[in-house]
Formats: sequence, structure tokens, C-alpha cells
Amino acid sequence: MSRQPAPADGSIASLRRLSGLMRQQRGWMALGVALAVLSSLSGIGLLAVAGYFITRMALVGAGGAAIDYYTPSALIRLFAILRTGGRYAERLVTHEATLRMLARLRTWLFARLVPLAPAALGELRSAELFSRLRADVDALEHAYLGVLVPLLVAIVVVAVVVLASLLYLPWLALPLALLFLVGGGLLPGWALRQARAPGAAVVACNETLRALAVDGLRGRAELALYGAEDAHAARVAAVLARQRRARRRLDRLQALGGAGVMLAAQLAAVCTLLLGLAALRSGRLAGPELVMLALLVPAAFEAVAPLPEAWTQLAATLVSARRVFALADTPVPVPEPGRPSPSIGRHDLSLRGLRLRYGARGPWALDGVDLELPQGRRIALVGASGAGKSSLIGALTRLYPSEGSARLGGTPLEAWHGDDLRAQIAVVEQRPYLFDASLRDNLRLARPDASAAQLGEAIGQAQLSDYVAGLPQGLHSWVGEDGIRVSGGEARRIAIARALLADPPILLLDEPTEGLDAGTAAQLYAALDAAMRGRSVLLITHRLGGLAGLVDEVATMQHGRIVECVPVATYLARRQPQEPPDAPSCGSRDARSAAAPERQQQERP
Amino acid sequence: MTVSTSSWLREQARPVRRLLAAGVVAGGLQAVLVCIGAWLVAHVLARAVLAGAGLAGLWPCVAALVPLALARFALLLWQRRTTFDAGARVGDDVRGALERRMRQLGPRWAAQQSSGDIVTRCVDGVQALVPYYAGYLPQVALTAVVPLLILLAVWPADPWSALVLVLTAPLVPLFMVLVGGAAERASQRRWSRLRRMGARFMDALSGLTTLRLCRATAREEALLAASGEAYRRETMAVLRIAFLSALVLEFFATVSIAVLAVLIGFRLMWGTLGFEPGLFVLLLAPELFLPLRALGSQRHRRMEAAAAAEDLVALLAVAEGTTPGEEPAAPEPFEARRIALAFERVRFGYEPGRIVLHDLDLEVAAGTLVTLVGGSGSGKSTLFNLLMGFASPQGGRIRVNGRDLAALEPGSWRRHLSWVSQRAHVFHGSLRDNLLIAAPNADDAGLQRALQAASLQAVVARLPQGLDTPLGEHGHGLSGGERQRLALARAWLRDAPLLLLDEPVQHLDAATAATIDAAIDALAQGRTVIRIAHRLDRLADDARVAVLAEGRIVEQGLVGELRASRGAFARLLAADRAA
Repeated sequence: MSRQPAPADGSIASLRRLSGLMRQQRGWMALGVALAVLSSLSGIGLLAVAGYFITRMALVGAGGAAIDYYTPSALIRLFAILRTGGRYAERLVTHEATLRMLARLRTWLFARLVPLAPAALGELRSAELFSRLRADVDALEHAYLGVLVPLLVAIVVVAVVVLASLLYLPWLALPLALLFLVGGGLLPGWALRQARAPGAAVVACNETLRALAVDGLRGRAELALYGAEDAHAARVAAVLARQRRARRRLDRLQALGGAGVMLAAQLAAVCTLLLGLAALRSGRLAGPELVMLALLVPAAFEAVAPLPEAWTQLAATLVSARRVFALADTPVPVPEPGRPSPSIGRHDLSLRGLRLRYGARGPWALDGVDLELPQGRRIALVGASGAGKSSLIGALTRLYPSEGSARLGGTPLEAWHGDDLRAQIAVVEQRPYLFDASLRDNLRLARPDASAAQLGEAIGQAQLSDYVAGLPQGLHSWVGEDGIRVSGGEARRIAIARALLADPPILLLDEPTEGLDAGTAAQLYAALDAAMRGRSVLLITHRLGGLAGLVDEVATMQHGRIVECVPVATYLARRQPQEPPDAPSCGSRDARSAAAPERQQQERP
Repeated sequence: MTVSTSSWLREQARPVRRLLAAGVVAGGLQAVLVCIGAWLVAHVLARAVLAGAGLAGLWPCVAALVPLALARFALLLWQRRTTFDAGARVGDDVRGALERRMRQLGPRWAAQQSSGDIVTRCVDGVQALVPYYAGYLPQVALTAVVPLLILLAVWPADPWSALVLVLTAPLVPLFMVLVGGAAERASQRRWSRLRRMGARFMDALSGLTTLRLCRATAREEALLAASGEAYRRETMAVLRIAFLSALVLEFFATVSIAVLAVLIGFRLMWGTLGFEPGLFVLLLAPELFLPLRALGSQRHRRMEAAAAAEDLVALLAVAEGTTPGEEPAAPEPFEARRIALAFERVRFGYEPGRIVLHDLDLEVAAGTLVTLVGGSGSGKSTLFNLLMGFASPQGGRIRVNGRDLAALEPGSWRRHLSWVSQRAHVFHGSLRDNLLIAAPNADDAGLQRALQAASLQAVVARLPQGLDTPLGEHGHGLSGGERQRLALARAWLRDAPLLLLDEPVQHLDAATAATIDAAIDALAQGRTVIRIAHRLDRLADDARVAVLAEGRIVEQGLVGELRASRGAFARLLAADRAA
């Protein structure tokens, strides 16, 4: 990482970093707060001036001296306009600031997460953590609108109103400040602390409900078979009841916050009347001024009313900020070199004692791999699941940190920038991720400038032509969440087309036929043959089967090591007699790929 | 919102009508108290300012404000409580209805659903409904009731002011409808836009590894920044309209107060209005617009509830693929120690045009083992579904010890079945819970025997709290092989006379495969077993196989004989080896 991470544990530190991220939008944010304060004060001012005005007029009507009624009525109009226009402008400006911040926050987080994937983001694969990240980002994006604006508005309005009371009725300032403090700070703060336990209970119940919903779906057959459906429904109902109790408590606390502000406003009004009446009697306060204060004081509590909600949001935002910053500060697992990537002539890949493990204390997934993959050679890597085959891809593409020596064209892999290295080595993933975009965009991911002709060629070679022709909108069909369904075999072929478009000298294939039935797998062989033409290939599979015709050598992997690497003919010839055709069910599956299909004609570079 | 969705939303409110009404009554009572409070304040101020009355005479009126405020406080809490209960009850009712629906739709339907989608509907979708009943609906009623109450109070005090309010207040909803139509569409667009943009961001994060492998991260980052910028501009254009309805509300609320103040002021000067009623009106006027304002801030709740309701209605109304077979008038209980099966011209299809089983005939004598083989889609799993009673034959019959399966009571029949699926579902809970689900009455010794039979003791030893360690996403998962063995342990606990066995396709290391094979052999002893085999070259010579193709049994016999012949089995075997 280029920059020392700031400690992300303290609330103040999180807040400071958050505001650092918002720095660029400072102007908009300040303007938004200013407008919010203006419209809030105008609303309060409107009522205060109106009270003052009608009292003066009433005194005139009762025989007092004539007054200048233009100034107050002009003020009333001015406040009305400022209030109305200010609210509208405030909403636009605060949303502008929020949207600007949102774009900035997302690109920032994305840039921080890129070098972490997938090695340091393993846990994000869990749907739960992922949706928590989603909620966290959401909370940060609304920190300004939901927390900062109401807090600042309340502070300014309270200060102004307390100052005004100091001017007219100094004794009122004390109870007023106290009631503001209780209604806007102490009571919500107490409610917030009280809400911690039920809040945690609600979250826990939600997670249980999710798990139970999955049980009700994925385990439906077992539930029906075991006659456990009633018990399952009862379990769901019990968790719902527990959650309802916690939610009721939360709701009660929330209601208490709102009702507390109302009560404080009413008590402030009573204080104003008591102190005001005494001051009026002793002549320290004029009648119109008393009415003005009596209208001003309760109205000012409107600015305090959003505070309970804002405090709750602030607490949630801080927790979210801490989590997001902790994630963003995760040390980069595979640092990029400081110098530019080397240039090479030949693409020979040479591994010596390559080791890799997940986690500092985990077992070695690769435990001293030695392998030579000269340019143009095709090697199949076989072994049982868990032998470390897929880990090799992680090490070769530098997505995971590894130890030992791995050289490409004579230069160590560590000298390469990740992206430059991955331009040399393309991967056909076992489960390629398909983005929520058109099929065309999904293909062009590997080569954004691919022409229609190049796309067409890759699609043809990957045996996708018929599939694409059958789609309602062809290449423009939408893939992903709301799009067309893509089967495992189709996804694999899309990944192959991507690799063809990337056109790398070295190709890594991860279990290209796993989980496919015989017919689909057969379709893939032709696609694979096209993809492999003229390249070095490392084909990872647990079962050679029909893939035997596509490779030169077979390397066998066991417990993170390559135990042998022999020509494919030797491998097949050796395996066959060991397994009589009518052997009972036992043994590793590699030992069962008995019949060697005819070796296909291969082009060599 | 479609008609059926909104009527469904209304329908759900029916059982909680009383609670909602109580909430509205509490809100109305508060408005009455507000009116009384305003009158007290106006009275005190008018007497003090104009008549020179002091605290000595006025203190009862001032003091009365305190119990009034306390009463409002209590009513507010009570109102929240009743509306909360209304929302919570609707949420529970809908969740219960979903549970019953999913039970009715059965395992076959469940297997076709994406779990993320269903979980979202069952948990988040139901939760999105709650604020609609707890917040939005009561507020709609209050928006009708409260301004009316306040007008009733203002009218006797000053008819002219009441007239001004009557003229402006209804204009608010009117203009809000006029502007609001456009504004609501605009704000709906804003919501969907924000959601889509969020979805895109999360999509990029989910596919980060693929992006890195395709060297597309820098491009994606630039794209995210650009789309954020574009979304901002578009969204702001939408918001300028969307906020208009709030502007209208604000305008009328503010202007009517300004107009009232000026009108009252001049009439006070002319002496045509008393100060007390004038002040009373001015104090009450803002209260008239409060419910309208509150409604505006609740509007998104209706939108979210409507969106959720659409998904829920679709789920609750989803058609069952096939009629689950008429339940016989009086299903007969079933009790047997040994089971012989006979399929007689069984016909079945999930959809009308697509027949999966085509006059299938098969006999399985009690205590024997038959292995089913056939390509994917040949109907092997369908056969299991029929046996487990998750679907009923549309033609022909399945006989169990000579009795028609369709006439048997499903619960009592299923008690005679064990099923070892390819991937047993691991339920939320401990390993113990996951075993007991198959046999709730099993004792500790029974559990230990089952664990031993399925070679699961090593797994138990690995778990920090042994059998009682919670399993699942957070903690300790089970690998594919371990889940297979969990299924075996369950079958062992059930000790049922008929065993349905779906062999794993997943590749396991040699040692694990051998353990599982041994466990299966032990389990099969003395039971009637139907086994689905995926790996043909592992079958023993003396195993009896039935080859399923195109919904029929096309070949039956011993593996050794069939392997030598050039029939369907030999062809399957060759294809399997080539793959």
C-alpha cells in the first residue's frame, strides 16, 4: 500500500476520514447547510414576527398609538419567501452534495478493493457480508443528509433562539437551553444506549430468519420427507415473535424520543409564559415581545425534532464507517513492483518450489511445485479435489501471494505488474462471473476495442454461434440478474470466447468440463481446441477423459506437489492395465479414465 | 402499482382495522388537546397583554398546560404502540402465508428457485410492508381527520380565517396531485435509478476477480466514475421536478400563515376581531399543515411496500406446475416392515407438452437393490419425486406391497422412506439438530451409532463444541463429502425399510469415496434400495441395473451381462468413459 492506513478504530478518526473523503464537495455541503439553516430560521421567524405584529395591531386597535405596519408585514412576506424558496433550494443542494459524494465514495472504495480481490476479500463471497457492505456504503452515502445537516441546523437554530431569549428575557435562556439539551441530546442519547441490545437482537433474528428461509427452500424436500414442516413453521414463528418483541422495544424508544421533544417544547412554552408574565408585570418586557417569544420558543423545537433520528443514524454511520475503512485498509496481499514490467521474447514458464497458502497459519495448498511449461507445450494437471490445482492459477496470475520461484521468460513473476502479467496469461475460470450487462459487453470485457468481426470469430471458435443466434436479441441480450439464463456450459464457453479475444500466449483452464454432462462436454472440446491453438496451455482437471486428446503431457498433483509429469501416451498406457474394466467401485477417479479416445490432430506453432 | 397489488395491500389491512382505528383515534385526540392548549395560551397572552392580568389570576391556565402536555405525551406513545402492533401483525400474517404457500408448492418447486431471491422476498420484502401499515396508512387517515378538527376549532373563533384555511388547505392536496403526479413518477424513476446504480456498483464488486483477470479494473473504475457523474446529472434533473410537490406544500403552508397574520393584524387594528381568537387562530394554523407534511415524508413507504407487494403477490399466486393429484377422501395409514414396489405404466410430465415418464414399468422385490442409470433428464430424479410423494403419477400407478401409493396417507408413507441425496441440506442449527431432524426421538447412543456408521466422528471431533457446534455460514461448514455422510447418518437414524440413494457426481478423494461406499453397503443390508448411479464404470458385475431412456425402462439385467451386450447400457458406458 502506498499510504500508511489511518487507525480506523476511533470514532473521531473515522469521522475525520469520512470528512476527508467529502472534502471535494465541501462547497456544496456548506451551501446546503446554510440554506437549511436559513429556511429553518425563516419559518421560526415568520411565526415570531406574525405574533409580534398582531399584538401590536391589537394594541393599536385597543387605542394605542399608530404604528408602522409596513416593516413587520414586509418581514412576514420576506420570511415566507425565504422559507419556501429556501426549503426547495436546500433540498436540491443537499442532494447534489450527496450524489457527488456517493460517486466519489464508490470510486474510492472500488479502487481500494481492486488490489485486495480475491485474496483478501475471501469473506466477501459470503452473501451476508456482501449485503452488509452494501448497507454500510449506503449508510456512509447518507451521512450528510441524515446526520450532518440536521445536527448543524439544530445547533445553529438553538444558538440563535437562546441568544434571542437572552436579549428579551435573560432568565428564560437557562431553562430553554436545558430543555433543548434534554430533548435533543440527553433523552435521545439515553434511548440510543437502551436501543443497543434490542437492535442487536433484531439483526440477529434477521440473520436467523434468512437462514430459516433458505432452509425452507433448499431443505424443503427433507422437511417434507421427515414430516418436519410443522416444526419448521413453528421455528419461524418463534423467531418472528422474538424479533417482534425486540422491534417493539426499539419502536417504543424511538417514539419516546419524538414524544420527548414534544414534551420539552410544551414545557419550554410554559416556562416562557411564567417568566414572561412576571417580566411583563414588572415592565421589563413589552406585550408584543412576550407573544413573539411565546410563538418563537415552541417553533424552535421543530429544528430539534429530527435529532433523535439523526443520533441513531450517526451511531449506525460510525459503525459502518469503521467497517468500511477497516476493509479498505486491509494490506494489499500482492504488492505491485515499483519498476515497469520486463519485456520478454519467449514465454517459457518455469516453477521451482512454488508454495502458497491461504492465511498465515493455514496448511500449504501448494507445497513446493516444480513444473516446466515451455512455450507452446500443453500440460494437463490432474489430481483429486483439494490437491492444490486451482491454487496454482491464483499463484500464476498473481492474485494470491506465493513463495518460491516462478519465472516467465526467465524473469521472476514478482517483476511484473499484475495487469501486464495477466496480458500474457489468460484464465478460463470454472465459474466465470457474468456481469449484469449485455452479452456483448460481457465478452468485450477482455478486449474493449474488439471489432464486430473479431467478436464474431471468437464466438464461432468458442462454439457459441448457435447459442447467440438462438437468443432473442442476439449479442445484445441481457445477461445476469434480470437477464437470460446461462447454463454452466454456456458460461464456460463465454469464458473461452473472452480468452480468445484476449489472445494471450499462455492459457490456464480450470476444470473446463466439471459438472457438465457428456454431450455438453463434447461440445466444449472443439471450443477448447480452438482456444488452445498456438498457445502454452495448463489444463486443470480432476478427470482426464476426453481431454486427453488435447494435451501433450499429464502432470499429477498430490498434496500440493507435482508428483510426476509424463507424456500423455505413457500416462494412459500405464493407467489402463491397473484398472480392469469390471473393477468394483473404488479408487480414485483418475485411475478410471480408462479408454483413450482417438488423439485429435493438433496444430503446433 | 397494479390494481391487484394495491387491492392486496388493502386486503392485508383488514385484520388489523381495529388497531389502525385506535391509532387514528389517538391521533385525533391529540389534535383536540392541541386545540385546547392553543386556546389556553391565547387566553393567557390576551388577558396579560390587553387586560394587564398577572400570574396571580392566570396561573391555573398556565399550569393546566402541563397535564395537557403529559396527556399528549401518553397519547403519542399509545398511538405508536397500536400502529406498531398493526404493522407487526400484518408482517407476521404475510410471513405465515408465505410459509404455508411454500409448503404447498413443495420441494419440486423449491428446487427451481434461486434462494437469494426467495430470501429477499420472505425477509426484506415482508419487512418493507410493515411501515406501510404502521406509518403510511394511519397517516393517510390522520391527514383527513386532523385538519378537519382544527378547522372546526378555528371556525367559531374566526370564520374569515377558517375560510382562508378552507380555501388553501384543500388546494394543497389538489396541487400536490397535479404536480405530484409528475413528481411521483419522477421520484419513482429516481428510486429505480439509485437502485440500478447501486446494483451496478455491487455487480462490479462481485465480479472483481474476473475484472482483474480480464485486466478491466482501470476501465471499470473510470466507467463507475463516469456513470456516477451521469447519474448525478440525470437524477438532479428528476429531483428538480420531484421536489416541486414539497415546494407546493411548503408554499401553501407558509403563505396561508402569512396571509392569516396580515388579515388578523389589520382586523385587530380596525377592531373587528378580538385579540384572543386572532392569536388562537395564528397558533393553530401551522398545526393544520403538519399531517400533510408528515404524509409527504411517508410516501416512499408506500412505494417500497408496493414494490415488495408485487413480488409477494407473484409468489403467493404462483401456479403449481401440476395438480398435486386429488387427495383421496380418506387417506389410509400405512404400516409395513418390508416393502416391495411395482411401477405399473406410470406416466408423468411436469408440463402438459413434456412427458418425462412414459408408461414406465418396474418391479423391485422386497429387500433387493436396483440401480437406475440413464442420461441427465431421463427421469431418474422424477421417479424419486413420485416415490416420495412430491408429485403424483398422471397415469398408471405405483403399488406398495400391492396397495396404491396414491391412496396412502403421505405422512405415514414417508415414515417408511430414507433418502440419501447428492447434497444433503444443512439446516440452520447444530450437527445434532441436523441429525435429529430425521429422527426427533433418537437418543444419544443412537446418534453415536449413526455418526460411526457414516464415519462422521472425525468431523465431530473437529468441531469445538462437538455435536452442538452451530453449523452454517458463520462458523463451521461441512464439505461436499461430509454433507453426503450427513445424509447417510440421517438415513441410518431413520432406519426405514425403503432407501432411496442418489450417488454423488462430485469427485471425492479415494479414501473418502471408499468410506462412503462402505457405509452405503452397510446401510443397504436387508432393505429395499433404489439407487441412482452416475458413474457407470464403478458398478459391480452382479449389480442389477435398470436403464432409463426417454421415460421408459429400456433395458434391465445384471451389469456383467449388459456390459458385454451392445445395448443401451453399453452405449451409456462408452459415452461416460469418453467424457
